[in-house]
Amino acid sequence: MRKLTGRCELQRICYNTKPGASRTMKIETSLRDSKSKLLQTSVSVHPDAIEKTIDDIMELKKINPDINPQLGISLQACLLQIVGYRNLIADVEKLRRESYDSDNPQHEEMLLKLWKFLKPNTPLESRISKQWCEIGFQGDDPKTDFRGMGLLGLYNLQYFAERDAAAAQQVLSDSLHPKCRYSFAIVGINITDLAYNLLVSGALKTHFYNIAPEAPTLSHFQQTFCYLMHEFHKFWIEEDPMDIMEFNRVREKFRKRIIKQLQNPDMALCPHFAASEGLINM
Amino acid sequence: MGQLESQIQNEKMEQMACGDLGFLQTLKAQKLASSMKRWSKIFIRCFRALCCKGPPPARPEYDLVCIGLTGSGKTSLLSKLCSESPDSVVSTTGFSIKAVPFQNAILNVKELGGADNIRKYWSRYYQGSQGVIFVLDSASSEDDLETARNELHSALQHPQLCTLPFLILANHQDKPAARSVQEVKKYFELEPLARGKRWILQPCSLDDMEALKDSFSQLINLLEEKDHEAVRM
Repeated sequence: MRKLTGRCELQRICYNTKPGASRTMKIETSLRDSKSKLLQTSVSVHPDAIEKTIDDIMELKKINPDINPQLGISLQACLLQIVGYRNLIADVEKLRRESYDSDNPQHEEMLLKLWKFLKPNTPLESRISKQWCEIGFQGDDPKTDFRGMGLLGLYNLQYFAERDAAAAQQVLSDSLHPKCRYSFAIVGINITDLAYNLLVSGALKTHFYNIAPEAPTLSHFQQTFCYLMHEFHKFWIEEDPMDIMEFNRVREKFRKRIIKQLQNPDMALCPHFAASEGLINM
Repeated sequence: MGQLESQIQNEKMEQMACGDLGFLQTLKAQKLASSMKRWSKIFIRCFRALCCKGPPPARPEYDLVCIGLTGSGKTSLLSKLCSESPDSVVSTTGFSIKAVPFQNAILNVKELGGADNIRKYWSRYYQGSQGVIFVLDSASSEDDLETARNELHSALQHPQLCTLPFLILANHQDKPAARSVQEVKKYFELEPLARGKRWILQPCSLDDMEALKDSFSQLINLLEEKDHEAVRM
């Protein structure tokens, strides 16, 4: 192909595909499947080494940066996203593995802040209290409910309650309504589980490569969580299940819907952080 | 092959459901069932001989219900039995169904969430169960242990479960505060209350899968016995 077009595969991709998930994913596949060790390992370099890696690649492919300045820039943008996604998985996993520890003052502070954001007008009577059930925890001590997702679960709930307070309040108040009836916090932890699996399986690449100008960050992940919480809530109401026992069935149906949406390479679930907006096709 | 076996199963189920079929009809069905079984075994052997690796013989399937308080370890244990990592298991909300494979049977387990607000729905899912798995946290607080005891007693006495075999798993044995199996047996009053019923009490933890699998083998034996009893009826 190179002889015919005079361009190597990387060049052809950058020339023919506009910036976004399509381009980045094609570059990622091309690099990963390359016979060259340099290209193969470029997908997992340290972010600080990206510039040098690009220079090395250009040299290897005998591409003159003066004649093809755009290529270097495009490759760099792609690589930042690719490497960033991998690092985000590592950061998210680290948070997930950290168990909630009631002896850790920072964890405790975050938990109490969660209460304050969700119930600003109701003081918490005590750290161990049946009041926690009012925001959807299962017992009088939320710590056991964080199992599986660890601190990641709490981080996401707190982000939602703090940064998207209006939506969070709405979801909370709806969740207590006899018609809707689900546990806000537990559903939140389940949605974190969903988001985590979408991230780790690579399904969120479409979304992140489309919305993150450079490396996807934890904030992007948390914003995605807010979006998923909001969408799931709407979906739950639409599905009109008999009661909470249908949760897993509805959750699975929701997950399949999101996966299908993410299969469109032009999809961005929430292009700019406004969790109350619907999805937009770029 | 699976089709034949499941046809036999279906027939057995129908027999049990109808209840008042004449003795003669039952005998006829039994004869048909055993001759079908005989022929199917011969068929499998021929097929295998011809194809070197024939299809695996269909294992009997049993429908079970798995209950216990939240945090007792139901999802984690079932996940591990299915060779899945229990590492990222979150609280079960609602219910979930898992097909847990063993060497000589497949257990279709309906696992029910154990939170306070969900337990009231448990009995809705008892219909059609052939056995019960009850999981408890051996290291839980006194209050929680008492709640677990009440739930176990309710289950043992529930009309749809009272004749079924129970596998009671005293989980979290790896925690320092875990009560021993003797203490659990005494506290849960298993000897007097569960007298006349078939139950197995097994101490366990996620670290010891061998002991757990062993207890499931015993449960499967109880389920098989019950099955043969039903056919003889």
